[in-house]
Amino acid sequence: MFALDIQGMGKSFKGKKRQVVEALQGLNLSIEQGEVFGFLGPNGAGKSTTIKCLMGLIKPTYGTATIMGEPIGSVASRMKVGFLPENPAFYDYLSAEEYLLFVGGIFKMSTALLARRTEEMLKLLELWDARKRPMRGYSKGMVQRVGLAQVLLHDPDLYILDEPMSGLDPLGRALVKNIIIDLKKRGKSVFFSTHITDDVEKVCDRVGVINKGQLLALDSVDHILQQGIEGYVVNITTVAGLREESFVTKSDLQIFIQRAISNQCLIEKIQPRRKDMEAFFLEIVAR
Amino acid sequence: MFAIIQITLKGIFRDRVFQGIMVLAVLFLFIPSAASLSMRQVTELSITLSLSLISFILLLLSVFLGATSLWKDMERRYTFSVVSLPISRSSYLLGRFFGLALFIVLTSVILGAAGCLVIKICSGIYPPDRPVVWGYLVLAIGFATLKYILLVGVALLLSTVSTSFFLPVFGTICAFLASGVTQQVYEYVNSPIALQVVSPFFKPTVTLLYYLLPNLAGFDLNVNAIYSIAPDQSGLLLTVVYFVAYTAILMGGATLIFGHREMK
Ligand SMILES: Nc1ncnc2c1ncn2[C@@H]1O[C@H](COP(=O)(O)OP(=O)(O)O)[C@@H](O)[C@H]1O
Ligand SMILES: [Mg+2]
Repeated sequence: MFALDIQGMGKSFKGKKRQVVEALQGLNLSIEQGEVFGFLGPNGAGKSTTIKCLMGLIKPTYGTATIMGEPIGSVASRMKVGFLPENPAFYDYLSAEEYLLFVGGIFKMSTALLARRTEEMLKLLELWDARKRPMRGYSKGMVQRVGLAQVLLHDPDLYILDEPMSGLDPLGRALVKNIIIDLKKRGKSVFFSTHITDDVEKVCDRVGVINKGQLLALDSVDHILQQGIEGYVVNITTVAGLREESFVTKSDLQIFIQRAISNQCLIEKIQPRRKDMEAFFLEIVAR
Repeated sequence: MFAIIQITLKGIFRDRVFQGIMVLAVLFLFIPSAASLSMRQVTELSITLSLSLISFILLLLSVFLGATSLWKDMERRYTFSVVSLPISRSSYLLGRFFGLALFIVLTSVILGAAGCLVIKICSGIYPPDRPVVWGYLVLAIGFATLKYILLVGVALLLSTVSTSFFLPVFGTICAFLASGVTQQVYEYVNSPIALQVVSPFFKPTVTLLYYLLPNLAGFDLNVNAIYSIAPDQSGLLLTVVYFVAYTAILMGGATLIFGHREMK
């Protein structure tokens, strides 16, 4: 069973002046269990539209999808995910603690477990001191952390996060990255959207690039980084003790090293020079 | 659904609008002195004033809280975080409705108790011609409560079709205003005198509205309470049946519409 299985899903909106906006066009995508998947695309690409369809907030115009085997839109499908909306907002008259207790109740967690998990989450996300204050007075970063606490609370196997790192300071971004890495270690599946390539490079197994409602590329992060290698920067020290740095293309590397060894040079360092994820992303989107 | 009822109540009690409206309850303190100014029928007047004040506060609460509770959730984007939880749209909406209904009941119990106290004081100082029948008073407050719960249903239904709070607020107020007169207008249009005066198009429109708009005239038992007149029992039963049926239809429609609504 796939953690997430999207088949030919599309969504069009009626925009202004009766224009039809095709926000998503026939998306096919399957996420394995235990996989961390980055859904990468510029603003307005259709990332949130996809995620809203998955969470039953809007209905796809055509196509289907399942979450952990359950059809989207069903209560059962939502039982099996932790979902973080884009720029989340929570009942601001409740405190973080009250909100987590409310969410846990809806996930039918037992009282004892809920109390324990609530405390753990509030401490993990550094909301413990503010737990009794109404969320009205929270900063944006704090609200985002409440969102993450709420996502992790019931310990689901799949996480769907819409731009979890946007609007956070470097500390907050690092926290989110660490949480995702930790989830991966525990064999959880994560599907998150972002427009920042760096986020993907650091934490994802696979990445899908979407633009104008269409999936343009789908590949493993390792493969993309491997493919992007243009050549190597090699540092050697010659017999005479001279240090040299040279750029060697992929195909020339073997010969270069053999020659260096036969000339009794000391190979100090070989570093791949590659296009990073950013270049890959820009190339695809510009196509 | 229980969780939604709970947060609905919490939300109301922490809401400024509610706190503002409840300040009006202070007016109860002035009822004895206002009533005593009239010199005659002081108790009757105090009952009238108490019931009117309770009705007025309940009206404000049901219109503003009923019409803004869904709208606020959508406006402030709370729906994204709540409707995406494993809860059906109908549970969410019904949770809201029962939360609001429960709140209206609580308020009328508290206000009713305050009203009874005021009336007790007045009738103690100026004994009325006819003794106060407390049962009728409770009945009058009870039916007023049902009336405003029904109005909350109207407000919620209008909220599910609207994206602003304008339609729910003013729609509910209009429904309330019209509900008091539909009976009379309907009877007038169907009377022999009207046949000559009223245009033929008017009659079906009125008939349609008569069946569509809530008919709240039966919920008004103030006269019975004020003059200690026994209300008609079968009439009361009919009113209760009407309340249940009308509210069920309202919430059925609201659930259906809300279930298909896109949370963009
Ligand atoms: N409710 C809506 N009505 C009309 N167009 C919409 C609506 N929501 C999104 N769109 C359009 O759909 C496209 C995709 O939007 P979205 O999925 O939010 O992008 P993003 O990838 O930034 O999350 C955009 O062109 C946007 O203008
Ligand atoms: Mg988005």
